[in-house]
Amino acid sequence: MLDVALTAAGNVFTLQSLLFLTIGMLIGLVVGVVPGMGGTTALAVFGPMTVGLDPYSALSLAGGLMGAVSFGGSVTSILINLPGGAPNAATCLDGYPLAQQGKAGLALGASASASSVGGVIGVFTLLLVIPISKKIVLAFGPSEFFLLATLGLVTIAACAPGRMLRAMIVGGIGLLFAFIGFDNVNGGTRFTFGIEHLWEGIPLAPAMIGLFAFPEMIELSAKGGSIAKDKGQVGLTGTLDGVWASFKYWKTLLRGSLIGTLVGAIPGVGGTVAAFLAYFSTVQASKNPESFGKGNIEGVIAPEAANNAKDGGNLIPTLAFGIPGTAEMAVLLGVLVLHGMEPGPTMILHHEAEIYGLILTLTLSSILASVIGLMMVRPLAMITRLDAHILVPSVIAISFVGAYANNSLPGDIVLAFVFGVIGYLLIRFDYPRLPLVIALVLGELAERSFAQAMMISGGSWSIFVTRPISALLFALIVMALTYPMIRTLLQRRHSVEEVS
Amino acid sequence: MNKLLAALITCAGMVTAPVAMAADFPAKNIQFVIPVSPGGGFDTYVRAVAPIIERHLPQSVNIVPTNIPAAGGARGAAQVYRAKPDGYTIGIFNIPGMLVPQIRGDSDLQYDLKKMTWLGSFGQDGYGVGVPTASPYKTVADLKALDRPVKFTASGPSSTAYSATMIATDMLGIKREIISGYKGSNDYVLAVIRGDGDAVIGPLPVMEKFVESGELRIIGTFEEKSSVPGAQNAVEMGQPDLSKLSVGRLVAGPPDLPPEVAKTLSESLMAAMQDPAMATWSKESGIAVEPGDAASAKGILEGQFNFYERYSKYLGPAN
Repeated sequence: MLDVALTAAGNVFTLQSLLFLTIGMLIGLVVGVVPGMGGTTALAVFGPMTVGLDPYSALSLAGGLMGAVSFGGSVTSILINLPGGAPNAATCLDGYPLAQQGKAGLALGASASASSVGGVIGVFTLLLVIPISKKIVLAFGPSEFFLLATLGLVTIAACAPGRMLRAMIVGGIGLLFAFIGFDNVNGGTRFTFGIEHLWEGIPLAPAMIGLFAFPEMIELSAKGGSIAKDKGQVGLTGTLDGVWASFKYWKTLLRGSLIGTLVGAIPGVGGTVAAFLAYFSTVQASKNPESFGKGNIEGVIAPEAANNAKDGGNLIPTLAFGIPGTAEMAVLLGVLVLHGMEPGPTMILHHEAEIYGLILTLTLSSILASVIGLMMVRPLAMITRLDAHILVPSVIAISFVGAYANNSLPGDIVLAFVFGVIGYLLIRFDYPRLPLVIALVLGELAERSFAQAMMISGGSWSIFVTRPISALLFALIVMALTYPMIRTLLQRRHSVEEVS
Repeated sequence: MNKLLAALITCAGMVTAPVAMAADFPAKNIQFVIPVSPGGGFDTYVRAVAPIIERHLPQSVNIVPTNIPAAGGARGAAQVYRAKPDGYTIGIFNIPGMLVPQIRGDSDLQYDLKKMTWLGSFGQDGYGVGVPTASPYKTVADLKALDRPVKFTASGPSSTAYSATMIATDMLGIKREIISGYKGSNDYVLAVIRGDGDAVIGPLPVMEKFVESGELRIIGTFEEKSSVPGAQNAVEMGQPDLSKLSVGRLVAGPPDLPPEVAKTLSESLMAAMQDPAMATWSKESGIAVEPGDAASAKGILEGQFNFYERYSKYLGPAN
């Protein structure tokens, strides 16, 4: 393995490969910042341009791009509450409140260091588990998918402290949206109101753009002023503190990275789930869960670490069976085919050096992208000081372009607008927006996997506890539901004792 | 009078315009529509062949692969169908994937494959039956002999994989239960390896990769002559008609494409598929290309229409 890794290193540290790595990172940062444009679109556009060059240039471009996209996406999440891609939505929750408090620099610094470390941890975990990668992939079947999705849905109850009922109502509405489109188990389309555009379901990117960015901009234009409430003390100096914050909260960082790697390893689940699960496990583990959503730096660290760690995890199914874990990876495999590499279960045997090359470029880019990003923090943080009459029209215009850019479908602009209105109504009547996102992301997976698990077990519910990983996930769900209650009880008893 | 004359001349000009246009075709970039998201098999074929077609066109223009996913491919197909018949918009079609919705009578389907101008074919993949390597079942007859329904994994009931499983198990007389809803061929083949079901009916190239890595065994191929050693073929299984089950990659332009334009496109496509560069790519990537001309594409389409019209009761609910 060492000699293969050295060959790979020799091929990556060439002028041409490093040039493509840099180009990839720059493209990644830019498309990450533009909402709706993700790594998938960028790879599909730029990947084929490497045909005719050696495969390492393609791998460097892809590695650079994938490592940089998520950091680019979190920049807009923090600064203007506009997630660059669906996986960045979790970063909005605490990143944007920090920016409002004038601490954009702190949040961006933490995001940069958490992304880097998360990316590196993801890749190292990947290297450790390569020998058992097949077992990992095969261990997750429909019953595990269902329980994993349920675990995510359970967090809805926890995501709005003190407003649980409201959170569950919004979650229910989100599930209704999630079931729109093709019914993968029974066939046919459902709840499409005869609109062909809804056949493939509600696309995430336009929904997120509408849900997060629009309501904020409506509020801002109504209030006037700028995002950072006190212009005087916008923290352009807090960046280094932010970088260190990730290390100060190393448990959060590690937890986020490991959750990201694990979720990334399961094909078809994706970065959005990874980021949200990391966020909520952090909220649950925290001593002050009520401080989240109001600008807790840990709420930025966890999803950012998970979001970059998932790239390493994504490679597990790719290496084990040549099947892509995400759309991004599917496009990368398509680009590799153009270079004459055959994706499939035998890819790791035939193209070992190239695979290690990709792993190396991913590592390099998750570190370097954050360094480049940090250099841009100062000018970027100034956005939060812009006056509403300049910022609002720009963001709204970028949002519409982003909603369209995702799939070049005009219908997506309409959807972004509809979700913008829904988002505004939710804020206006004090309902949390997040449960809608969680339900939208997980609803289809939960429903489909449940139906499949029932078909496999012949209708017996025991499948959810007799398989070892299912049993573990089941226990986690029970714990997630009961832990906050138990903790409240304990705290009460504690305070009663103190009083007496 | 002068006005009438002018109008007539204009009309005549409009009639002759396509001919004049055909002579210097192509004068601008050609859009090659891929009705699915980037990254899949169909996407790969188009992106591999596009630069090679460019070399064989009489004028130097670009072929621009454009992904138009949505509505299970119907939107991309409709876009090609409705395009101006000038040869600057062509597309790749999954047959029977795009044909089944038409036979089934899906609502709002905005294309008619029978009216399109067929230009060529990248070939067809056959289907087969696979079981996990450790499975006790050695032949299709073993599956047939079971006194319980055999569990097959497949994608949703509107998919061709599901229809193929229904049709094949019916022809072979296997009692079946289909675990549906998997997303694509890699997913449902992996599902059977994981133990979600007993067996899988899927495209041979996908299954062969898992055979090579030691996870899957192909116990029957729906070919007239089996390409997999040790696996029964369609004739040996007593159902030669099974060979009609396949996934074809056909190229077409909008209806009423001027014959000269169609000829230019078809010939450049054929030359590109037979180009040594394509052969090298095919060998390295392990993806087969069986060049077929316009006539063979049309033949494949008609054969598939006849086959699926006969089995229309298995095509799942209309959308």
